[in-house]
Amino acid sequence: MKILKLSFALLLCAIISSCSNDDSGEDLTGQTGELIIKFDNGVGDQDFIFGTTYTKSNNESYQLETLKYLISNITLTDSEGNVYTYPYNDNIFIISEANANNAGEIYVTLNDVDAADYTEISFGIGIDQDRFALGADGQGDFLTTAEEEGMLWSWATGYRFTRLDGTYSSDIATDEALNIHMGSVGTAIDNYREVTLTLPNTVLVREDSSPQIHIVADIALLFDGNTSVSFDEGYSQVHVDETTTGVIANNAMEMFSVHHIHND
Amino acid sequence: MKKEILIILGWIVVVGCSSNNINAVYEPIYLEVEQPANFPEISYNLDNNPVTEAGFELGKSLFYEGKLSANDAIPCAFCHEQAFAFTHHGHTVSHGVNGGIGTRNAQPIQNLAYQTEFMWDGAASHLDLQPVIPITSELEMGETISNVIAKLQTDSYYQSQFTKAFEDGEINSENLLKALSQFMVMMVSSNSTYDKYIRNEDNVTLTDIELDGLATFNNKCATCHATDLFTDHSYRNNGLSINPSLNDEGRYAVFENPDDLYKFKVPSLRNVAVSGPYMHDGRFSTLEAVLTFYDSGMTDNGNVDAVFSREDGTLGITLFDYEKESIVAFLNTLTDEEFLTDERFSEY
Repeated sequence: MKILKLSFALLLCAIISSCSNDDSGEDLTGQTGELIIKFDNGVGDQDFIFGTTYTKSNNESYQLETLKYLISNITLTDSEGNVYTYPYNDNIFIISEANANNAGEIYVTLNDVDAADYTEISFGIGIDQDRFALGADGQGDFLTTAEEEGMLWSWATGYRFTRLDGTYSSDIATDEALNIHMGSVGTAIDNYREVTLTLPNTVLVREDSSPQIHIVADIALLFDGNTSVSFDEGYSQVHVDETTTGVIANNAMEMFSVHHIHND
Repeated sequence: MKKEILIILGWIVVVGCSSNNINAVYEPIYLEVEQPANFPEISYNLDNNPVTEAGFELGKSLFYEGKLSANDAIPCAFCHEQAFAFTHHGHTVSHGVNGGIGTRNAQPIQNLAYQTEFMWDGAASHLDLQPVIPITSELEMGETISNVIAKLQTDSYYQSQFTKAFEDGEINSENLLKALSQFMVMMVSSNSTYDKYIRNEDNVTLTDIELDGLATFNNKCATCHATDLFTDHSYRNNGLSINPSLNDEGRYAVFENPDDLYKFKVPSLRNVAVSGPYMHDGRFSTLEAVLTFYDSGMTDNGNVDAVFSREDGTLGITLFDYEKESIVAFLNTLTDEEFLTDERFSEY
């Protein structure tokens, strides 16, 4: 058995090295291809499922009926340090669990990505201040998309970066409302955050292939990340408060990890 | 023979129609946004949305367009009437679709290009995005942006006007909001008697009582009503008693910051004589009532701005009768008849 594993690993090494050998002589100038990023929401070691009760710290539990967040400003860095930025106007996405396939994956398809060997992906959670400051020019059609998805505030001009709606229970509460609507508020509260993830293997974007990056978002870390929060103590309703939205924004940065990649 | 005539007639109709579409092309003629000499510098970034004749015309049509509301009957102009500096004359608060009653007094639309935050509580931090609030508010226009776009897309006037106004010609939220901003940034009120006096134009002078009012104003009001926009753009709690039926917490609603309780934006005073009633809830119908309030009507609601504290610990700005009278006389010089009757902004 061990021998089998070892030989398999050796085979894998051989394939990878042979691939990269091929690459060195490859001219990728002007070539573009498709890249699929799969977002897969989970809670700890479980898949995320609507209506399922999950436990967290402080003897609290929760279940959700809405789970959405905004991703923007996706960039990819290749093995030589060159940074590719997806076209600005199309570089905003709503990741909604309701749009997930049967495997619980939400697909973001990037078209016409520069062909390269990418080793790193970065993206923002929410909308950055620069884009907001562009006014209508920076939002394009995304404003209507966000509105239709319930990610636009109507009482103020801004977006919900996260939208988690459901109920929670604790030692003192039973099925109380849980709404995590974190966002920036004007220019005064900036809750936009960026994350950079190193890819476990090189992602080869080519004209004739559509590689996939499988990203897992651990929702548990939103509540028990760098800062552990208690629903009973002000975190069952997160909307505009500078402190609570900031804590959720910082925790959101830790949610994401690259589970694996597919080159085909 | 009859058939032939019909065919020819049909052809004429078709050509007539298509020539209309051919007329709708994007040929931008740029308009300049006024920068009055006595104003602070413009804040709106025109680079991202330069004003064109067609864009301005489109914005104006949209401003007067009922389709922006759920029942097709409540345009922006419903609560923003030109003769009253684009406020809702005679209304403390305004009514919207389905009999909804709002909670705040409609603010004037003027000189918005020189401001960076909008609404009584500053909930809009970009002019382009401000219209989203009234359009989607259930108490105001009760509509969705997507639905507004869908309605405009079926309208032949808008099909051709969006083509004229924007290079991509798309009827979408970006262009809708850009057009509304193009109309609004052009709405500059800077030709009141006071403006002409301060800029030494047309030999305009102020009367003695108006000058006395100006001096008192500078002494007692201009801390907050600063610059020739007559606002320092700050949010302050001015000690109004809390109306329990509205319980409007002001800017607190934006950030839920206890320091913001009952704070509202310091309003500009341009065209103030015609834009009553006054305060965020329109509780005072005359300027005299406003000045009497500042002199002797303020209440300690727990968070009143320090600027109103008298040495003896009471709240208010002491104003003698002649001071009030002269301040009102001065405020009347801020009325800009040219703006209030400017046909560029009129519906008809």
